[in-house]
Amino acid sequence: MRLGMPHMGNLYIPFKALFQRLSIDYVIPPVNNQRTLSLGVKHSPEGLCIPFKLTLGNLIEAAELGADTLLMPGGSGICRLGCYAKTQEEILRDLGYEVEMIQAGVSEQTLLGTLRMIKRLSNNVPWIKIISAFRFGLAKLSALDRIERVVQRVRPVERIKGTANKLFTKAIKAIDEANDYNTLKKVQVDYISQLNQVTKDNQVQPLIVGIIGEFYVLLEPFSSFDVESELGKLGVEVRRRLFLSEWTKFSLFPNLLGIDETDKIHKAAQPYLKRDVGGDGWESVGEKVLHTKEYDGIIHLAPFTCMPEIVAQNIMLTTKETIPVLTILCDEQMAKPGMLTRLEAFVDLLERKRRAQNNNRQRVTA
Amino acid sequence: MIRVGIPRALLYYQYYPMWKTFFEELGSQVVISPSTTQAMLSQGSSRVVADTCLPVKVFLGHVLSLVEKCDYIFIPAIRSVKRRVYNCSKFLGLPDMTKAVIPESPPILDIDIDINKGKRDLYQSIYQLGRHFTWNPFKVRQASIAAWQAHLDYQKLMSSHGLTPPQAIERMSGTLEATPKTHSSHSTSTRGAIALIGHPYLLYDEHINHRLIHRLEQAGYKVLTPEMLTAKGLETAIVRLAGSSYWTYEEEVVGAGGYYLGSGADGVIGIMTFGCGPDSLMMDMVRRQAARLRATPFMSLTLEEHTAEAGVVTRLEAFLDMIQSKKRRRAEVCV
Repeated sequence: MRLGMPHMGNLYIPFKALFQRLSIDYVIPPVNNQRTLSLGVKHSPEGLCIPFKLTLGNLIEAAELGADTLLMPGGSGICRLGCYAKTQEEILRDLGYEVEMIQAGVSEQTLLGTLRMIKRLSNNVPWIKIISAFRFGLAKLSALDRIERVVQRVRPVERIKGTANKLFTKAIKAIDEANDYNTLKKVQVDYISQLNQVTKDNQVQPLIVGIIGEFYVLLEPFSSFDVESELGKLGVEVRRRLFLSEWTKFSLFPNLLGIDETDKIHKAAQPYLKRDVGGDGWESVGEKVLHTKEYDGIIHLAPFTCMPEIVAQNIMLTTKETIPVLTILCDEQMAKPGMLTRLEAFVDLLERKRRAQNNNRQRVTA
Repeated sequence: MIRVGIPRALLYYQYYPMWKTFFEELGSQVVISPSTTQAMLSQGSSRVVADTCLPVKVFLGHVLSLVEKCDYIFIPAIRSVKRRVYNCSKFLGLPDMTKAVIPESPPILDIDIDINKGKRDLYQSIYQLGRHFTWNPFKVRQASIAAWQAHLDYQKLMSSHGLTPPQAIERMSGTLEATPKTHSSHSTSTRGAIALIGHPYLLYDEHINHRLIHRLEQAGYKVLTPEMLTAKGLETAIVRLAGSSYWTYEEEVVGAGGYYLGSGADGVIGIMTFGCGPDSLMMDMVRRQAARLRATPFMSLTLEEHTAEAGVVTRLEAFLDMIQSKKRRRAEVCV
């Protein structure tokens, strides 16, 4: 058995660590690139969203490398995603790959369920080994996310644009190579201090833009032309709630104190959207309402034809709380120059709004 | 008397007799929007972002036509009618979305239907809905029993008499002549049988589908629809094609598609709208099955508000020509 799985951001790093520790035979398909997208688009039904097309491309590339067992998220009551594994399996079979799909439930999965699935995949390795490997994978995941948070803060203020991203790439590699907790800890501390020492422009007060929307396009930079880095280049600080380590923490582990940020978000959405509409639609509406005061603007990312986000977009336009929102729909037809033009125009608008606010304030104090 | 408005779109075709009975039993008057027109569609489209799907735009057009004609508008949020099988996001968010984009609409009666939460929750939702009309839980109970009976009668009328939903609704409200012309008794239907698969709100809205059923009948074909099949037949077809259902209303597409591809039809036409999430997957399943079987011709028509009538007619004619030539070839082989 050789295991393969689709990409989503840096998710392959913790999984790689897990597979190595449990000596599971695995392949990591090439990170998302133009070929992945073309393969996915070619073999997908036309009306499907970019997450389907990219993950299908990944799975085909994994099968080309000899994977015969594929891990794909699934479940019920989420959105279309729940039955992607089924359709993708059919497509792969029709292409002539004899593969078995394993669905990892993302809606009703518990910690025990996840561990059981790993145990089955690893051919009955003792529990103690599984738990320790799982813990190590989670540690890598949270190290990645901690560094990314710092990167998000450095990007808009760095003197030489691109420094933070270069360091981030190196850090990802170092985390990938770390083999024990000590090295991992050292890598994390080391890179965070390096990032903090990057020469910064202390004069600027960056605009703050919240990034909200659908899970996959938020976490997979390839699908959105790395919108966060582009905003960084324009001197905008990005805030994003969704980090994989946070998500696993809340969805896998029991929440002892009952404190969950999503509850707050759902509450904020209540006056406009009373119920879950699958996917991340409810959260998108809630985040817009909740962060109106804190942020200068919001960028709403969604795949083209995403059902929950269309509902959210329609509702978001009509809320009492007003904040500039730019919805960017991601699909294979999107071109980078087009997106950059829209981003620049949006940032200009936010700057002008801030200037106007400052002028008003000065007038009031004078 | 309280007037309750029901838009003639989306779930109307599945549940109208049930809803109507329920509200009338509770002593209110049911107001229904007229058939879809181009004006309604344009008005509906103007309220939402462009990516919103055609059926929702039509639905909003119907809601707009009911404004000021009723005191309440009934828009349920149907999350699930079967265990662990869920509905499309658009249905879940329908009441909230309508409220957001049509602020001038009368108060919306929304009710959450989610079988997964258990019977108690369902009864509570129904009572909550009834509370708008009466305080008496027994009256609500009576109304819901009558409504359920009406729903069963409606379904039986369709599956045993071969009626389409609009015909069955007319029959139930008594506006149709005593001897209705059902599809089976259609005298001109000699050239073969074509199965139409898709959601009722696409098949029976003549404005959306450019009078497809009428055109097929004119061309001399008998039209078969998902409602004419029994629940069991649909279920087995789903199991064969998809294993288990994932979507509420999967029967109308995968179930009916799987059934008619296997038997009873000379050709199958799948009708879906552009950007429909569930249909993009379900129609693909049917198409894949058709390609594997290579027995019954299959055509999928994707509709949107820019679909031109001429385009639909051309594709339809080509499809029917193909079926006829296939029949001729087969006849020649037999001779």
